[in-house]
Amino acid sequence: MDLPLALNTFMTLSLITLTTPILLTLLSGSLKDAPTTITNTVKTSFLISLIPMTIHIYSGMESLTSVWEWKFIMNFKIPISLKMDFYSLTFFPIALFVSWSILQFATWYMASDPHITKFFTLLLLFLIAMLILVTANNLFVLFIGWEGVGIMSFLLISWWHGRAEANTAALQAVTYNRVGDLGLILCMAWLASTMNTWEIQQLPSTHQTPTLPLLGLILAATGKSAQFGLHPWLPAAMEGPTPVSALLHSSTMVVAGIFLLIRTHPLLSTNQTALTLCLCLGALTTLFAATCALTQNDIKKIIAFSTSSQLGLMMVTIGLNLPELAFLHISTHAFFKAMLFLCSGSIIHNLNGEQDIRKMGGLQKMLPTTTSCLTIGNLALMGTPFLAGFYSKDQILESLNTSYLNTWALTLTLLATSFTAVYTIRMTVLVQTGFVRIQPLTPMNENNPAVTSPITRLALGSITAGFLLTSFMIPTKTPPTTMPLSIKMTALMVTALGIALALEISKMTQTLTLKKQAPLSNFSISLGYFNPLTHRLSSTMLLNSGQNIASHLIDLSWYKKLGPEGLADLQLTASKTATSIHSGLTKAYLGSFALSIIILLMSMH
Amino acid sequence: MNPQAKLIFAISLLLGTTITISSNHWIMAWAGLEINTLAILPMISKSHHPRAIEAATKYFLVQAAASTLVLFSGMTNAWHTGQWDITQLTNPVSCLILTSAIAMKLGLVPFHFWFPEVLQGSPLTTGLLLSTTMKLPPMTLLYMTSHSLNPTSLTIMAILSVATGGWMGLNQTQIRKILAFSSISHLGWMVIIIIYNPKLTLLNFYLYTLMTATTFLTLNSMKALKLSTLMTAWTKTPPLNAMLLLTLLSLAGLPPLTGFLPKWMIIQELTKQDMATAATAMSLLSLLGLFFYLRLAYCTTITLPPHTTNHMKLWHTKKPTSIMIAILTTMSTALLPASPLIITII
Repeated sequence: MDLPLALNTFMTLSLITLTTPILLTLLSGSLKDAPTTITNTVKTSFLISLIPMTIHIYSGMESLTSVWEWKFIMNFKIPISLKMDFYSLTFFPIALFVSWSILQFATWYMASDPHITKFFTLLLLFLIAMLILVTANNLFVLFIGWEGVGIMSFLLISWWHGRAEANTAALQAVTYNRVGDLGLILCMAWLASTMNTWEIQQLPSTHQTPTLPLLGLILAATGKSAQFGLHPWLPAAMEGPTPVSALLHSSTMVVAGIFLLIRTHPLLSTNQTALTLCLCLGALTTLFAATCALTQNDIKKIIAFSTSSQLGLMMVTIGLNLPELAFLHISTHAFFKAMLFLCSGSIIHNLNGEQDIRKMGGLQKMLPTTTSCLTIGNLALMGTPFLAGFYSKDQILESLNTSYLNTWALTLTLLATSFTAVYTIRMTVLVQTGFVRIQPLTPMNENNPAVTSPITRLALGSITAGFLLTSFMIPTKTPPTTMPLSIKMTALMVTALGIALALEISKMTQTLTLKKQAPLSNFSISLGYFNPLTHRLSSTMLLNSGQNIASHLIDLSWYKKLGPEGLADLQLTASKTATSIHSGLTKAYLGSFALSIIILLMSMH
Repeated sequence: MNPQAKLIFAISLLLGTTITISSNHWIMAWAGLEINTLAILPMISKSHHPRAIEAATKYFLVQAAASTLVLFSGMTNAWHTGQWDITQLTNPVSCLILTSAIAMKLGLVPFHFWFPEVLQGSPLTTGLLLSTTMKLPPMTLLYMTSHSLNPTSLTIMAILSVATGGWMGLNQTQIRKILAFSSISHLGWMVIIIIYNPKLTLLNFYLYTLMTATTFLTLNSMKALKLSTLMTAWTKTPPLNAMLLLTLLSLAGLPPLTGFLPKWMIIQELTKQDMATAATAMSLLSLLGLFFYLRLAYCTTITLPPHTTNHMKLWHTKKPTSIMIAILTTMSTALLPASPLIITII
């Protein structure tokens, strides 16, 4: 059997299957029962994409398909080519599996929405853009996918566009993403002018790469993956419906930035400055997000900050020069994070729109499936041994502990790991256990299979994905084999410490009253004061400098003051001064005459 | 005023001027100056209101001081050189004192403070005499002693005069004061060229006399003493107002009119004498004068939309047409084409 042909065929078939609903709609008009159709389309695409992955696992085959070549100018060709290597072949099934579950869930979640067809179409378009990004072989196609996911994110966050917060959140997302795009364009421009190519294969990997394009790439990743500095859009993006949060802002879109860094890893690996920058930025992000998550009361915001924290951890892995480990974490993270979002969506809808965890409690008995899967997801997030998150997270922390790196980054990451445990346990305790704090008349049920089957499917994935992925992933860099016991147990100990601390403090809150104002808790609650400072400062500075330059400097100064008006003012001053000298007193006049004569005699003689 | 008194004053004025012009002994020059001073005093204080009396007093004090200085400079020179000839002034102290004395007589900065107030206190015809006839003797003395005066101080005084005349004139609403400062400006132009080409000083003086006489006589026939009066005077004699516009622009020195001629010649001579900076400074400072001349001109020929005026136009103008004004106006606006002739004559 011709394996390369099969690989290429099934991959492209998988992609084309996804576009079928859109093409059908364009050709024939409206789509009947769009949600189910689109869900089934994605399921089919997932099943098809399993075949190329199996081929790759079986034979280690990778392929590169060139579809068309755009002869831009004489020396610069831009081939539209798809790269099917380990990363894209593995990511396809995972992304499609997660998307299938989310879409199935969304048929229940968005059932009462009048524009449900448009919603599903937008989600499908997003998925296509994401998959284009993942299979891109050159930065041009990647950029197409990159911009595509950005636009879709904007449209989907502002789905309920009557709500002002949703609109501002979408604007924030677009603006911060745009700032990141500047970095990507910078890198592309540098590559085009120095390497004369945008192909990922042709990126230099032998000698030292200059820092400038790498800074551009890191900026792009900061924007798209919400690293510290360009992070406010991710918590704000929770204004969108839960399926959007689950698909875009946990599993697929936000990992695009990290994915870019994984793809361009050969460039990064030679430049130690860039690697250290990634490391420190990632460490800062992970700790900052974990700190902010400690005091959040909105269940979706907690999960959003958790996503941000895990993205920081992925960035740290990139900084450690371990792209495959980062990819592993992306894959495992997709499962349990999407499941966490779906569970929270089920809880929110069942509680009739309540998102505040202070108004939830004791849901374990009322929503058993959802809360059990929530627990599984939380345990996977914390890195409980042999669940999905353990395989990636523990390896990352081991590599962190055994490499020669910045102690500050190490400390921050370990602290963030314990914080992860703290806020996860807090969320679990407040949502599932304790006294019931919900509205009295809340009919809730889990009878709809559209709710339970995606969640259970993803729970299965959360449990087994780590094991399965590490079984067939062959690491190109040697993982650390021996280390002292304390180092090996660091991640576990830190997590256990966090759990214990969280449980103790939760118990304390039931008996003691909380202090009114505490600086640290204020810092955490106001998300580090970042949002008001940057948002207000940047727009004020821009507008002020605009007024100064355009209105004050050019219009007022150059055209008026230094020209006619200034001259007229001078003459006015001179005239007034001269008039005040002519007082009318004869004595003064005669005195001035005498003085003038004396001066004349003195000076000329 | 009593006609006999008027006769005596007029004849004394003529006498004093003639004596000074035709003198070559310092005492004679001084005597003529004194006669002039005394003769014009009653004419200033003709109407006996306080402002006129004050003007007369100021005039007397300043002119007396100036005449004294003239006498003293001549006397010092005689002491040192033994002769009283006006053209043979050699003692340096005498030269300096004479410079300041003539400046005081004429009204050059910084000796000009008396001039606006005196002109404001006197009636328009006396003002005319003050601006023209009373300047003739000192101008003659200046012309005769031009070689022995200090050039630096003259230049400084001239440029300052033009500047002061410009800036001060901007802030006035009384027409007589505006004309006083215009006179000071023109004196500046006259004095700056005295060292290099005294003939141009005389040319400037004659043409200035012409234009000022026109202005004063026109204003006298309109009886306009302030800007506000000027704005409503167009209903009485509209053509005269239009001609006043041209006369004022001629005073300012705008090209196709007569007033351009002296300025042009002076700038040319200064440039030839390597004094281009001074020429530029004078021209720029004269622009200030142009502004208030334009303001005056605008007030005289104010163009209004066709609507009912603020008072009736007199259609039976009882005012006899004055031949003098006609001739002077024509000469003060249309002499520029004849400039070669004028330069050769003067």
